[in-house]
Amino acid sequence: MSGMECERLRELDAELALGVLPARERAEAVAHLDRCPECRERVGRLTAVGDGLLALLPRAEPPVGFESRVVTALGAAPVPKRRRRYRLRLAAAGAAAAVACGFGGWTVATVVEGAPAATSQHTDGGLREAALVSAGHEVGRIYAHTGDGGWVYMSVDLGSHARGPVRCLLVHADGSTTPAGSFPLHDGYGYWGAPAGTDTAAVTGARLTAPDGTVLATAHFSE
Amino acid sequence: MPGMWRIGLSLGRMSDEALLSGLATGDPELVVAFVRRFQRNVFGVALAVLGDTQLAEDVAQQTFERAWRHAQVYDPRRGSVRGWLTAIAHNLAIDTARARRARPVDPEDLDAMLGVVTETPERRALADDDAERVRRAVAQLPEEQARALVMAGIYGMTAREVADSEHVPLGTAKTRIRTGTLKVRTLLESEEKR
Repeated sequence: MSGMECERLRELDAELALGVLPARERAEAVAHLDRCPECRERVGRLTAVGDGLLALLPRAEPPVGFESRVVTALGAAPVPKRRRRYRLRLAAAGAAAAVACGFGGWTVATVVEGAPAATSQHTDGGLREAALVSAGHEVGRIYAHTGDGGWVYMSVDLGSHARGPVRCLLVHADGSTTPAGSFPLHDGYGYWGAPAGTDTAAVTGARLTAPDGTVLATAHFSE
Repeated sequence: MPGMWRIGLSLGRMSDEALLSGLATGDPELVVAFVRRFQRNVFGVALAVLGDTQLAEDVAQQTFERAWRHAQVYDPRRGSVRGWLTAIAHNLAIDTARARRARPVDPEDLDAMLGVVTETPERRALADDDAERVRRAVAQLPEEQARALVMAGIYGMTAREVADSEHVPLGTAKTRIRTGTLKVRTLLESEEKR
């Protein structure tokens, strides 16, 4: 069967929007939507019904231990502080092939499975990251989320002799700084997240200082 | 540890989108915060579709693994992080149900689900307006249309499966699914205009 007329699609629009159309009809329908903005708009409005239904499903408490099992499965289980490594599990964008259909709503198609690449220089539209460096050694990581509001998050291990609180300053291209806040250390280790209070997309780096102003670590976001 | 509550509070106040970005870093504290925020939602969807705690837990875990792998392709223009996770959990749950379901959805489970999506108990009086609008709209449908809509929209049953389960012709099942969906959409849009 070649092509699909609007009238035919109208018969299938609800099943398409609810995600229950058999594969062949679905492929045909999606091909039609690609070239028909009116049908695309109508199906997009109908997907809100399916999304709305799912939003009515009651929340439920998972079995005891679920949280730690998930964290372990993601390879993010906390490791002893003194041996802590700043493990990065950023999936290369190219390896991710989740497909969201163009007519609205969430439709996750077959994805290409594969272990995430361990890359330390990943940046994308929503997240910037940089190493926190002290005396030439990486002592932590800082992440700046550039979406609504702008957030920074960091974890740092300055050695058991280090004392907090640590003050975080965000550095701009002209050298000016914006204080993001301060956080405590426990046995030299600390992690902290807070609203950036400035446009994180324009921040070029960060500086962590001790209460007396001594610079403990610095970070530079790559362009 | 005196500082911990402050840290927890900070992570608790992070936006869903920021927390999703954090998930991609693999940092243990951010992963825990992300899972903690959404696990009841994700597990609830899986349990509703599958009706089996063990299977639902497997699906919920796969949902977080998939979200972690694909955090970079999340597009806020298409909807909320919660909606995205719900869609992933729902798709995985339906795939699992399809692989295992030898029989149609248990009639008692279906009746219970109809109750869930149409009742408006007092404790939900403060729930968000969008959800209540959908609930009211589904409650206004003739029962056979509400059943067909729940079978398709929640249990992922095709029109053929609805027809077999309800002992009606395929055309009738298709009409019920479509009419129910369009009516809910019309009711929602008429309420939105008020």
